[in-house]
Amino acid sequence: MHLIIVGLSHKTAPIEIRERLTFPAHKQAEALSLLTSDDRIAEAVIISTCNRTEIYAVASGDDEGVDAVIDFMATYHSLDRHELVRSLYMHRSEDVVRHLFRVVSSLDSMVIGEAQILGQVKEGYEHALGNGATGKVFNKLFRQSFEVGKRVRTETEIGENAVSISYAAIELAKKVFDTLQGRTILILGAGKMSELTAKHLVSNGVKTVLVANRTFERAQDLASRFNGEAVRYDDLYTRMRDADVVISSTSATHYVITKEQVAQSMRGRGGRPLFLIDIAVPRDIEPAVNELGNVFLYDIDELTGVVESNLEERMREARRAEAIIDEEFAAFMRWRESLEVQPTIAAIRARAEVIREGELEKAYRRLGDLSDKDRQTVDALTSAIVNKMLHGPTQRLKQAAEAKDGYEYIETARHLYGLDESEGRGHGRLRDMLNRRAKEITEITEITSGEAGDSLGC
Amino acid sequence: MAQTAVILFWFATVMYVAATVLYAYFFLSKRAAYSWYATFLTGAGFLCHTASVGLRSVAEHGTDLSGPNTLILSAWALVLAYFVMEHLIRVKVYGTLLVPLSLVLMVISQLMSVRVGAASPLVENWKIGIHVALIVFANAGFFIAGVGALAYLIQESQLKRHRTNVLFKRLPSLANIDLIERRAVAFAFPAYTAGLLLGVFRAIETDPPGWWADPRVMLAGVVWAVFGTYLVLHYTQRASARTTAWITLAGVFIVAVVAVTARTVPAGFHVFGL
Repeated sequence: MHLIIVGLSHKTAPIEIRERLTFPAHKQAEALSLLTSDDRIAEAVIISTCNRTEIYAVASGDDEGVDAVIDFMATYHSLDRHELVRSLYMHRSEDVVRHLFRVVSSLDSMVIGEAQILGQVKEGYEHALGNGATGKVFNKLFRQSFEVGKRVRTETEIGENAVSISYAAIELAKKVFDTLQGRTILILGAGKMSELTAKHLVSNGVKTVLVANRTFERAQDLASRFNGEAVRYDDLYTRMRDADVVISSTSATHYVITKEQVAQSMRGRGGRPLFLIDIAVPRDIEPAVNELGNVFLYDIDELTGVVESNLEERMREARRAEAIIDEEFAAFMRWRESLEVQPTIAAIRARAEVIREGELEKAYRRLGDLSDKDRQTVDALTSAIVNKMLHGPTQRLKQAAEAKDGYEYIETARHLYGLDESEGRGHGRLRDMLNRRAKEITEITEITSGEAGDSLGC
Repeated sequence: MAQTAVILFWFATVMYVAATVLYAYFFLSKRAAYSWYATFLTGAGFLCHTASVGLRSVAEHGTDLSGPNTLILSAWALVLAYFVMEHLIRVKVYGTLLVPLSLVLMVISQLMSVRVGAASPLVENWKIGIHVALIVFANAGFFIAGVGALAYLIQESQLKRHRTNVLFKRLPSLANIDLIERRAVAFAFPAYTAGLLLGVFRAIETDPPGWWADPRVMLAGVVWAVFGTYLVLHYTQRASARTTAWITLAGVFIVAVVAVTARTVPAGFHVFGL
């Protein structure tokens, strides 16, 4: 069982290459079927987003698997293999696990902490699962990765602080009003930025949109997009009384809203606060407006400052997320270890040795006084029986494990020998003790290798 | 029974300590699980606290109105008021601020020495029992409003200065804090008014000389006027939330002064030999 990943992302490839390597949802069944039809690939999952395309695979060998996936990508997308390889990254074995955990935690995303990636990875996995392209390893790995993603989102604040100007404005407005449900916004100037911010505000529950612009027709045009109301420029300050949030983005070269005008508008508002967002350069709103009681003004630089501080906060949270990943990575590696042939053989031998020693003790008690020579003979006899019994199965298990679905044999062997959770999959002291014993036995077996088949009389 | 009351008191204190630690951890880490455990421990502590107060009253054939016990009752009322508020508004963060306050009151009550003296005949009346209960509950409401006012001023200042710190993210919105503050005062003020009126009726009944000139009575009148002003300004919308927050803090400060005055100023009838 060899885990590999071959992929490209915004970090390694420009959009021109990324867009040529996508696997849209409706083509994934076909792609997965082609991929897993290769003898070298046992399981596969394709993650395809606008920023990354990654193929995760369980392969019969590291290099063979990587070659198989690159061949598939080049053939599927009719690309030159050498050109393609320049944009790709490859990870093997445990690096794959760590990479996937980082991806679902959005630590590898363009915007750290973004929420979509977890859903996108889930979608990729569900396609693979639905098309029978996953097996025991990926079912475990991906399900655990979703837990990692969830833990990172709930146990850290990686996604909590806005990292775009418009979301930062919404976050601040919510710190004033608690909720934007039922609020009224006044858009001053019909520019793209104010439209974008207004769009976010409306999606957060703002009820009424008022639009004021020097050209009334443009105000009407923008207002119609939000089912809002166009306001005559002359009525601006009167209608400001109705607004909770004002977004200003005109191309005026002087202050459009002054302290005095806002002070007048604040009268008769019933003590409601007013939140002003000035995203124009040069600024539209006189900075002294912020000195008025119950008035909060943020210009573009201040919003940028909030975004930068939030980004720093996310970086700090990313360090906490890495700790969670380390924890989950260790858990997965413990599970994976149990699928490896050597620990399984060691566990089988450890179990056999424990049984042999126990039975030997009972036999010695029943036989009474035995000479040292007799004891050695009986001891060697039982060891030889155990070794002979296990030699064939362990040799065949080693050979079988080399196959691409070799872990199935290992699983079966574990099941047949009754190696339960405490012998390689669980946690805690019992597991550690048994693992230590298994290691000792492995070491003894390695030292006496070649004698495994016949140790009688040694 | 008295011994059980003391044991339960210490159980309650220990649980409030644990809840304070968990609330602090919740405040810093924002992990909801900690707030659940903190609320659970506060609830368990509150039950012990209630049982302790009840058993003590039974053992002593009445509720002791000495300074330390008044603080214990105030802590109890504060936790009760917090639970009512959390049920209504569902903002856990106030537990971080209010449970430690209750804990402080519990600890101070144990550090205060009780001057044993003959109880004034003035207090031997049902009106005084209700008077004290109402004032204790009203003070709990004022303290909740005070904590809200402080939070409002911190939050507002950060929004105004465009500089934020960890408190900014943890504290609720201005609208939410203002709502808490207003509701707390709106609940406490009628209780305080009724409490004062009962006290005044009792004073008129017994007519001790110059009762109205007692420092505590006079300051209580100031508290009443301050919070009355708060309500008028708030509901007539003639002052900003910032101004009313400052008024609340001033009112809470005077409440604290009233409590201290009653125990440190020897003059006045309203000390009841405490």
